[in-house]
Amino acid sequence: MRYGHGPEVLRDLTFRLTPGSFHFLTGPSGAGKTTLLKLMYLAQRPSRGEIEMFSQNISKTHRRDLPPLRRRIGVVFQDFRLLDHLTALENVALPLRIAGARRERIEAHVSELLAWVGLAGQINAKPPTLSDGEKQRVAIARAVIGRPNLLLADEPTGNIDLAQGLRILHLFEELNKIGTTVVIATHDRSLITTFGRPELRLSNGQLTLHKAPSVMLDDDAPVGAPDTESDKRA
Amino acid sequence: MSPRRADLPLGGDATRRFIPLIVGAMVYLAALALAGTFALDGTVQQWSDSLRGALTVQLPGVAQAPEGDEAQARIDAAVGLLIEIPGVLSATALPHEQSQALLEPWLGAGDLPADLPIPIIIDVSVDAGARINYEQLGQRLEEVVPGARINDNGVFLARLVTLARVVQLVGIVVVFIVAVAAVSIVVFATRAGMTSHRDTIELLHLIGARDNYIARRFVTHALSYGLAGGILGLVLAALTLGALALAAQGVDQTLLPRLSLDLTAWIALLCVPLASAVIAMVTARMTVLRALRRLP
Repeated sequence: MRYGHGPEVLRDLTFRLTPGSFHFLTGPSGAGKTTLLKLMYLAQRPSRGEIEMFSQNISKTHRRDLPPLRRRIGVVFQDFRLLDHLTALENVALPLRIAGARRERIEAHVSELLAWVGLAGQINAKPPTLSDGEKQRVAIARAVIGRPNLLLADEPTGNIDLAQGLRILHLFEELNKIGTTVVIATHDRSLITTFGRPELRLSNGQLTLHKAPSVMLDDDAPVGAPDTESDKRA
Repeated sequence: MSPRRADLPLGGDATRRFIPLIVGAMVYLAALALAGTFALDGTVQQWSDSLRGALTVQLPGVAQAPEGDEAQARIDAAVGLLIEIPGVLSATALPHEQSQALLEPWLGAGDLPADLPIPIIIDVSVDAGARINYEQLGQRLEEVVPGARINDNGVFLARLVTLARVVQLVGIVVVFIVAVAAVSIVVFATRAGMTSHRDTIELLHLIGARDNYIARRFVTHALSYGLAGGILGLVLAALTLGALALAAQGVDQTLLPRLSLDLTAWIALLCVPLASAVIAMVTARMTVLRALRRLP
């Protein structure tokens, strides 16, 4: 994967995530974690190689067929990417609105989820009035509101305290238990230690697995296996 | 909760204030140009009809009572010659009073001196398909009534019709140019909106919004300013046309062609704001969809 005519940020990565798996993605700054996540949430197409997700070859999928796939992916962006003119509730409701959900469903689900992440009293607040931690929780609620098949989070606990971070991670675990594949990019070693989930470590363009019962790397990963959730080569 | 709040706050930027005004100005110009084109249409049709089958013969007047023998003799001679010409359907001398009335705009409505030689006008109806040699006819008339002259209205009217058609064409070109300018403005406004809301658009795209979903926001916005500007422009144009009609009432109607708008013209003018809204919507949609194709 390269941007424009620049050097390749990622190369020769081959891995497959088993559906329902839970991984931390780690690595030094600039190692390509965000680029890898961008490829996974379909914000970028690989300059070469293939990505297979939800049994579809993304590299060959027409762009008009990508939106339904994106709706199956929840993303927590590092910079939150909340819409400042919308309330917390409206921000969280956005994926449901886009998916064409009924108003009753939106109201019920969003209020409940915001209460769960501790923002029951802030549902009508707009992002500029929220603290970074609160924005983070709104962003997380927006990522999980549609019960995605794949949840990708880029430093989701970077702006919240430890207790709140653990609470959010427990939410991710709950989603994982009902089948959502989770990948969390983080620098927080304590989270990795606490949750004891396998770690995908990205360094010098190489991806290595640590404590990884549910992930296969490189040549061990047969492409196109029936249980493939997300398969990436870049 | 207000779940229908726009996820793209397009009305909040500068386009909300300026674009409706610019579109209004465009529609104003287009409506006036269109009104002029339609108003001329009736007149041109009238002139074109006059071109076919009508000419006048002017005989020198005599300084005596119109019913005098001399005048009647000239009329009889000219009419006698004219009705013999193949293709001439009728030839009738205008009554003296009518000839006098034609001079009123220049000589006033008062009694004219009895010794003023008022030309005798003979109104001639001609078969539209007839081929008459007017030069030869003029010579023969000159022989029977010295000083007789054919007023070939056709040449004069044909030039008028050509001029009017050119003016109409200019009107249509103005409407076309205004439409092109309006499209350019909408493209500019849409691109400006996309640039200022790039992050929001990208986010919507990433969480699964289809291009149509995003384009709909811009189309709705374009509809609002296209319609608002269109109505503003049309109201101003209607006021202007009303003022012109009022001003024209004070002018002698014989000096001006009859300029009026029929029902079709009014319907067309009422469609201008709708057209501006449709142009804005289609342009905005195409602009957005084209730009979104650059996203993965």
